[in-house]
Amino acid sequence: MTEQELLSGLRNGEEPAFKELVTQFRDKVFNTALGLLQHHAEAEDTAQEVFIQVYRSIDKFKGDSALSTWIYRITVTKSLDHLRRKTRKKRFGFLSSLLGEDNRLIHEPGDFDHPGVQQERKEDAAMLFKMISQLPENQRTTFVLKKVEELSYREIAAILNTSEAAVDSLLQRAKQNLRKKLSELPP
Amino acid sequence: MNSLNGLKKAEAPEFFYTRLSGRMQNETEPVRKTSFLLRPALVTAVLSVVLVLNVISLIKTNEQPVNSNKPAGIEAFAEAYNMDGSSVYE
Repeated sequence: MTEQELLSGLRNGEEPAFKELVTQFRDKVFNTALGLLQHHAEAEDTAQEVFIQVYRSIDKFKGDSALSTWIYRITVTKSLDHLRRKTRKKRFGFLSSLLGEDNRLIHEPGDFDHPGVQQERKEDAAMLFKMISQLPENQRTTFVLKKVEELSYREIAAILNTSEAAVDSLLQRAKQNLRKKLSELPP
Repeated sequence: MNSLNGLKKAEAPEFFYTRLSGRMQNETEPVRKTSFLLRPALVTAVLSVVLVLNVISLIKTNEQPVNSNKPAGIEAFAEAYNMDGSSVYE
Protein backbone atom coordinates (compact mmCIF):
# COMPACT_ATOMS: atom_id res chain seq x y z
CA MET A 1 0.00 0.00 0.00
CA THR A 2 1.50 3.37 -1.01
CA GLU A 3 1.43 6.39 1.29
CA GLN A 4 -1.26 8.03 -0.83
CA GLU A 5 -3.46 4.91 -0.69
CA LEU A 6 -2.88 4.72 3.04
CA LEU A 7 -3.85 8.36 3.53
CA SER A 8 -6.90 7.99 1.32
CA GLY A 9 -8.04 4.94 3.30
CA LEU A 10 -7.47 6.73 6.61
CA ARG A 11 -9.46 9.75 5.47
CA ASN A 12 -12.34 7.43 4.54
CA GLY A 13 -12.17 5.83 7.99
CA GLU A 14 -11.23 2.40 6.63
CA GLU A 15 -10.02 0.00 9.31
CA PRO A 16 -7.54 -1.95 7.09
CA ALA A 17 -5.75 1.34 6.35
CA PHE A 18 -5.55 2.17 10.04
CA LYS A 19 -4.27 -1.32 10.85
CA GLU A 20 -1.62 -0.94 8.13
CA LEU A 21 -0.56 2.43 9.57
CA VAL A 22 -0.22 0.95 13.07
CA THR A 23 1.77 -2.01 11.69
CA GLN A 24 4.13 0.32 9.83
CA PHE A 25 4.74 2.78 12.64
CA ARG A 26 4.10 1.04 16.00
CA ASP A 27 7.77 0.12 16.61
CA LYS A 28 9.03 3.57 15.62
CA VAL A 29 6.48 5.32 17.83
CA PHE A 30 7.01 2.95 20.77
CA ASN A 31 10.82 3.09 20.57
CA THR A 32 10.80 6.91 20.48
CA ALA A 33 8.33 7.19 23.36
CA LEU A 34 10.32 4.64 25.36
CA GLY A 35 13.56 6.57 24.82
CA LEU A 36 11.94 9.78 26.05
CA LEU A 37 9.78 8.39 28.88
CA GLN A 38 12.06 5.53 30.01
CA HIS A 39 9.05 3.54 31.22
CA HIS A 40 7.49 0.60 29.31
CA ALA A 41 3.84 0.99 30.38
CA GLU A 42 3.87 4.77 29.93
CA ALA A 43 5.52 4.40 26.51
CA GLU A 44 2.81 1.96 25.40
CA ASP A 45 0.08 4.24 26.71
CA THR A 46 1.59 7.23 24.90
CA ALA A 47 2.02 5.22 21.69
CA GLN A 48 -1.70 4.39 21.81
CA GLU A 49 -2.52 8.08 22.30
CA VAL A 50 -0.37 8.92 19.27
CA PHE A 51 -2.34 6.57 16.99
CA ILE A 52 -5.67 7.81 18.35
CA GLN A 53 -4.55 11.39 17.61
CA VAL A 54 -3.42 10.39 14.10
CA TYR A 55 -6.78 8.68 13.44
CA ARG A 56 -8.78 11.69 14.66
CA SER A 57 -6.77 14.43 12.99
CA ILE A 58 -5.78 12.80 9.71
CA ASP A 59 -7.82 15.47 7.87
CA LYS A 60 -5.49 18.13 9.28
CA PHE A 61 -2.47 16.44 7.68
CA LYS A 62 -1.89 18.46 4.51
CA GLY A 63 1.12 16.54 3.24
CA ASP A 64 3.58 19.42 3.76
CA SER A 65 5.94 16.91 5.35
CA ALA A 66 6.28 13.13 5.15
CA LEU A 67 3.69 11.12 7.07
CA SER A 68 6.49 9.65 9.22
CA THR A 69 7.68 13.17 10.18
CA TRP A 70 4.15 14.12 11.23
CA ILE A 71 3.77 10.95 13.33
CA TYR A 72 7.19 11.41 14.97
CA ARG A 73 6.22 15.02 15.79
CA ILE A 74 3.01 13.86 17.49
CA THR A 75 5.01 11.22 19.39
CA VAL A 76 7.54 13.76 20.67
CA THR A 77 4.79 16.22 21.67
CA LYS A 78 2.73 13.56 23.48
CA SER A 79 5.80 12.18 25.28
CA LEU A 80 6.97 15.60 26.44
CA ASP A 81 3.41 16.48 27.57
CA HIS A 82 3.36 13.26 29.58
CA LEU A 83 6.70 14.11 31.21
CA ARG A 84 5.49 17.63 32.09
CA ARG A 85 2.31 16.22 33.70
CA LYS A 86 4.44 13.75 35.65
CA THR A 87 6.76 16.51 36.89
CA ARG A 88 3.77 18.61 37.99
CA LYS A 89 2.35 15.64 39.91
CA LYS A 90 5.71 15.04 41.60
CA ARG A 91 5.93 18.70 42.66
CA PHE A 92 2.38 18.61 43.99
CA GLY A 93 3.18 15.36 45.84
CA PHE A 94 6.27 16.96 47.39
CA LEU A 95 4.27 20.01 48.53
CA SER A 96 1.55 17.77 49.93
CA SER A 97 4.11 15.82 51.94
CA LEU A 98 5.61 19.08 53.24
CA LEU A 99 2.18 20.28 54.30
CA GLY A 100 1.52 17.00 56.08
CA GLU A 101 -1.44 16.03 53.90
CA ASP A 102 0.19 12.88 52.69
CA ASN A 103 2.98 10.99 54.41
CA ARG A 104 3.76 8.62 51.56
CA LEU A 105 7.21 8.70 50.06
CA ILE A 106 7.38 10.13 46.58
CA HIS A 107 7.92 7.23 44.24
CA GLU A 108 11.09 7.51 42.20
CA PRO A 109 11.39 4.96 39.40
CA GLY A 110 14.41 2.71 39.46
CA ASP A 111 17.08 2.53 36.77
CA PHE A 112 15.63 2.18 33.30
CA ASP A 113 16.53 -1.00 31.48
CA HIS A 114 16.21 -0.55 27.72
CA PRO A 115 15.54 -3.94 26.08
CA GLY A 116 17.91 -3.20 23.19
CA VAL A 117 21.05 -2.59 25.26
CA GLN A 118 23.80 -5.20 25.08
CA GLN A 119 24.06 -7.32 28.24
CA GLU A 120 27.60 -6.19 29.18
CA ARG A 121 26.63 -2.51 28.86
CA LYS A 122 23.38 -2.58 30.83
CA GLU A 123 24.75 -0.88 33.96
CA ASP A 124 26.47 1.93 32.07
CA ALA A 125 23.45 2.39 29.80
CA ALA A 126 21.12 2.68 32.81
CA MET A 127 23.36 5.42 34.23
CA LEU A 128 23.46 7.21 30.86
CA PHE A 129 19.65 7.08 30.52
CA LYS A 130 19.36 8.62 33.99
CA MET A 131 21.61 11.48 32.85
CA ILE A 132 19.62 11.84 29.60
CA SER A 133 16.44 12.32 31.64
CA GLN A 134 18.08 15.33 33.35
CA LEU A 135 18.88 17.13 30.08
CA PRO A 136 16.77 20.09 28.90
CA GLU A 137 13.79 19.00 26.75
CA ASN A 138 15.16 20.00 23.34
CA GLN A 139 18.59 18.40 23.97
CA ARG A 140 16.98 15.22 25.32
CA THR A 141 14.64 14.96 22.32
CA THR A 142 17.45 15.48 19.82
CA PHE A 143 19.72 12.98 21.57
CA VAL A 144 16.99 10.30 21.73
CA LEU A 145 15.95 10.76 18.10
CA LYS A 146 19.60 10.47 17.02
CA LYS A 147 20.97 7.78 19.36
CA VAL A 148 17.91 5.67 20.16
CA GLU A 149 15.84 6.02 16.98
CA GLU A 150 18.89 6.58 14.73
CA LEU A 151 17.29 9.27 12.57
CA SER A 152 19.31 11.51 10.27
CA TYR A 153 19.94 15.21 10.97
CA ARG A 154 17.54 16.05 8.16
CA GLU A 155 14.73 13.94 9.62
CA ILE A 156 15.26 15.35 13.13
CA ALA A 157 15.30 18.90 11.77
CA ALA A 158 11.98 18.27 9.97
CA ILE A 159 10.39 16.78 13.10
CA LEU A 160 11.52 19.62 15.36
CA ASN A 161 10.82 22.32 12.74
CA THR A 162 14.38 23.59 12.86
CA SER A 163 17.57 23.57 10.78
CA GLU A 164 20.16 20.80 10.55
CA ALA A 165 22.72 23.18 12.03
CA ALA A 166 20.49 23.71 15.06
CA VAL A 167 20.13 19.94 15.45
CA ASP A 168 23.91 19.54 15.36
CA SER A 169 24.31 22.29 17.96
CA LEU A 170 21.71 20.69 20.26
CA LEU A 171 23.39 17.32 19.92
CA GLN A 172 26.84 18.72 20.74
CA ARG A 173 25.48 20.52 23.80
CA ALA A 174 23.68 17.36 24.92
CA LYS A 175 26.92 15.37 24.64
CA GLN A 176 28.87 18.06 26.53
CA ASN A 177 26.30 18.06 29.34
CA LEU A 178 26.29 14.27 29.53
CA ARG A 179 30.12 14.12 29.67
CA LYS A 180 30.12 16.72 32.43
CA LYS A 181 27.47 14.86 34.45
CA LEU A 182 29.28 11.54 34.00
CA SER A 183 32.62 13.04 35.08
CA GLU A 184 30.99 14.31 38.29
CA LEU A 185 30.00 10.80 39.29
CA PRO A 186 32.03 9.13 42.05
CA PRO A 187 34.57 6.60 40.65
CA MET B 1 29.02 7.64 26.64
CA ASN B 2 29.44 4.70 24.30
CA SER B 3 27.10 2.42 26.19
CA LEU B 4 24.29 3.10 23.70
CA ASN B 5 26.40 2.04 20.72
CA GLY B 6 24.86 -0.96 19.01
CA LEU B 7 21.53 -0.31 20.73
CA LYS B 8 18.73 -2.37 19.21
CA LYS B 9 15.40 -0.66 18.70
CA ALA B 10 12.63 -1.63 21.09
CA GLU B 11 9.56 -3.28 19.58
CA ALA B 12 6.00 -2.48 20.49
CA PRO B 13 4.45 -5.02 22.90
CA GLU B 14 2.43 -7.97 21.66
CA PHE B 15 -1.28 -7.38 21.00
CA PHE B 16 -0.62 -3.63 20.68
CA TYR B 17 -3.25 -3.23 17.96
CA THR B 18 -5.86 -5.23 19.91
CA ARG B 19 -5.39 -3.06 23.00
CA LEU B 20 -5.43 0.10 20.89
CA SER B 21 -8.72 -0.92 19.19
CA GLY B 22 -10.29 -1.72 22.57
CA ARG B 23 -9.29 1.67 23.94
CA MET B 24 -10.65 3.48 20.90
CA GLN B 25 -14.00 1.70 21.18
CA ASN B 26 -14.25 2.54 24.88
CA GLU B 27 -13.45 6.18 24.22
CA THR B 28 -16.03 6.59 21.45
CA GLU B 29 -19.04 5.02 23.26
CA PRO B 30 -19.75 7.90 25.70
CA VAL B 31 -19.55 10.36 22.79
CA ARG B 32 -22.30 8.43 21.00
CA LYS B 33 -24.59 8.66 24.04
CA THR B 34 -24.04 12.40 24.33
CA SER B 35 -24.53 12.95 20.61
CA PHE B 36 -27.83 11.03 20.77
CA LEU B 37 -29.08 13.39 23.49
CA LEU B 38 -27.96 16.41 21.48
CA ARG B 39 -29.76 15.43 18.26
CA PRO B 40 -31.67 18.50 16.96
CA ALA B 41 -34.96 16.58 16.55
CA LEU B 42 -34.88 15.42 20.18
CA VAL B 43 -33.87 18.83 21.54
CA THR B 44 -36.64 20.59 19.52
CA ALA B 45 -39.29 18.08 20.66
CA VAL B 46 -38.33 18.44 24.34
CA LEU B 47 -38.30 22.24 24.13
CA SER B 48 -41.72 22.25 22.36
CA VAL B 49 -43.26 20.06 25.09
CA VAL B 50 -41.88 22.37 27.80
CA LEU B 51 -43.23 25.43 25.95
CA VAL B 52 -46.71 23.90 25.50
CA LEU B 53 -46.86 22.94 29.20
CA ASN B 54 -45.92 26.50 30.14
CA VAL B 55 -48.64 28.01 27.93
CA ILE B 56 -51.30 25.59 29.28
CA SER B 57 -50.39 26.34 32.90
CA LEU B 58 -50.49 30.10 32.17
CA ILE B 59 -53.96 29.84 30.59
CA LYS B 60 -55.29 27.70 33.45
CA THR B 61 -53.97 30.18 36.03
CA ASN B 62 -55.72 33.11 34.32
CA GLU B 63 -59.00 31.19 33.97
CA GLN B 64 -59.41 30.59 37.74
CA PRO B 65 -62.17 32.99 39.04
CA VAL B 66 -61.43 35.16 42.05
CA ASN B 67 -63.78 33.90 44.76
CA SER B 68 -65.12 37.08 46.37
CA ASN B 69 -67.63 35.22 48.58
CA LYS B 70 -64.92 33.73 50.68
CA PRO B 71 -63.74 36.02 53.47
CA ALA B 72 -60.15 37.06 53.46
CA GLY B 73 -57.75 35.11 55.64
CA ILE B 74 -57.67 37.32 58.73
CA GLU B 75 -61.46 37.91 58.70
CA ALA B 76 -62.15 34.20 58.48
CA PHE B 77 -59.79 33.60 61.38
CA ALA B 78 -61.51 36.27 63.52
CA GLU B 79 -64.94 34.88 62.66
CA ALA B 80 -63.95 31.32 63.52
CA TYR B 81 -62.68 32.31 66.97
CA ASN B 82 -65.44 34.83 67.76
CA MET B 83 -63.03 37.70 67.59
CA ASP B 84 -65.24 39.84 65.38
CA GLY B 85 -65.32 42.78 67.84
CA SER B 86 -68.48 41.83 69.88
CA SER B 87 -67.84 41.59 73.65
CA VAL B 88 -68.73 38.58 75.74
CA TYR B 89 -70.53 40.99 78.16
CA GLU B 90 -73.01 42.05 75.52
